[in-house]
Amino acid sequence: MHDKQIIGRGAEATIYLIKEFGVDVAVKFREPKTYRIPELDTVLRSRRTKKEASLLCSAVESGVNAPRLIAVGKYSIYMESIKGDTLNHTKLSGTIAKAAGIMLGKLHNHGIIHGDFTPANLMFCYGKLFVIDFGLGDFNNGSEERALDILLMKRQVSKAIYSIFIKNYSAVAKSYKETLIRLADIEKRGRYQSRTMV
Amino acid sequence: MLVLGIESSAHTFGVGIVKDGKIIANEKSMYDVGTTGMIPKKVAEFHISNSNNVIRKALKTAGLSIRDIEGIGYTKGPGIGNCLQVGQIIAKTLAVRLGIPMADVNHGLGHIEIARLMSRLEDPVVLYVSGGNSQILKATGKRYRHYTILGETFDIGVGNMLDSFARSLKLVPSWGSTVEKTAIGGRYVDMPYTVKGMDFSFTGLLTHSIKQINKHTKQDICYSIQETAFSMLCEATERALLLTNSDEICVCGGVAQNTRLKEMLSKIALSHHSKFGFSENQFNADNGAMIAFVAERMLSNGYKIKIKDCRIEQRYRVDRAVVF
Repeated sequence: MHDKQIIGRGAEATIYLIKEFGVDVAVKFREPKTYRIPELDTVLRSRRTKKEASLLCSAVESGVNAPRLIAVGKYSIYMESIKGDTLNHTKLSGTIAKAAGIMLGKLHNHGIIHGDFTPANLMFCYGKLFVIDFGLGDFNNGSEERALDILLMKRQVSKAIYSIFIKNYSAVAKSYKETLIRLADIEKRGRYQSRTMV
Repeated sequence: MLVLGIESSAHTFGVGIVKDGKIIANEKSMYDVGTTGMIPKKVAEFHISNSNNVIRKALKTAGLSIRDIEGIGYTKGPGIGNCLQVGQIIAKTLAVRLGIPMADVNHGLGHIEIARLMSRLEDPVVLYVSGGNSQILKATGKRYRHYTILGETFDIGVGNMLDSFARSLKLVPSWGSTVEKTAIGGRYVDMPYTVKGMDFSFTGLLTHSIKQINKHTKQDICYSIQETAFSMLCEATERALLLTNSDEICVCGGVAQNTRLKEMLSKIALSHHSKFGFSENQFNADNGAMIAFVAERMLSNGYKIKIKDCRIEQRYRVDRAVVF
């Protein structure tokens, strides 16, 4: 139908760029996995596509910059194409950390868990910060999930950046106290502790 | 170097002998799990009463006398305390009596290294799946090479899950391989699927499967639990493969004996133009040869430990063991 240009490839999906009515549209297509039996594969792919689409919609509703949803197929999501680079290799500034903190706060207030909130999934476009890839996301109001979202960012950025991030997050997120207590809890968890015996 | 290795972390008491990187004996005796699973005290007693015979048998296979042995390796951990202690005491006794050096070996590292070297892979993404462990690893570090855990189970190991389920179904013998046999020709019924990034969880799947026992045939549930669990492992492994930009996959541990799991992983390898490797089944099951194998590498590369410092550690994680 159109010329397809591959702009990204992950473990689960491939992202194409197509032109529709002269406008760039990003298509995220979940590839079939030959190792899984089809009964399981089709269910997983369609379930995840559906969930990701509704997460994208809700994210935009919560007032966060995210690619706007155009259409949903059984295994593909058609969305607005965001022009720019992810913040993966860019040096994070205080302004970005502030925007990212506010962004995560708004998402959490709406019961949205991103699941992979790292610089690799943040993008600068039209001078605004965008969040992409809700592929590991979920609708959840638990403090555990919220704390894990924060922890993921904390592990990837410097202390100074994190302190700006968390300050702005706390200013926006309603139940930030509960979340931060849980975060401290998670970090103390003894899953990696060991015991020596003679 | 001629090294004897003793493995006793769980139901297997195994003795292996390695000469300059070549395995010349691999003998074992296995505690019958019956339908009750492992009772630590009973397994340890079983090991004590069998240890002598297994060591003699291994020496006979290799055509050696105990005086020919130049080094002793034993499993430090992870494993069941009572069982580890049996192997450790026997190893210490032999080392003192014969006046030879000892090496404390990580059980998981034994599985990984023997599978990696037998399948001639250099730096693969490793899926280590056994009763107690389910981890995805990759070697890192320059000066001290060790395995980093990229993803692992949040709760129980996949083997443990299959064994528990076999017990609930009252299959005999109650372990994973019986589930594999029962699953042949089954149809898929819906099961919970839990993967978070490169981590996975199996308790939900186990509970759900047990609840389905009277609703579907044994065959169908066994088929579904296997397909679901292995799909979860494969998805996480594929993600790790892409994240690390690796082009080699290696599978090891008790559950790696399962043909379906190996088939699924080989498909992933094929779709990413990667190599896929595994070892023979006798080395995927717990065995003494892998302990001897790693111990020989450690000792011949200058690893030294005082006999009084040879301890056991029930939770000796593989990421803390240095690769020689």
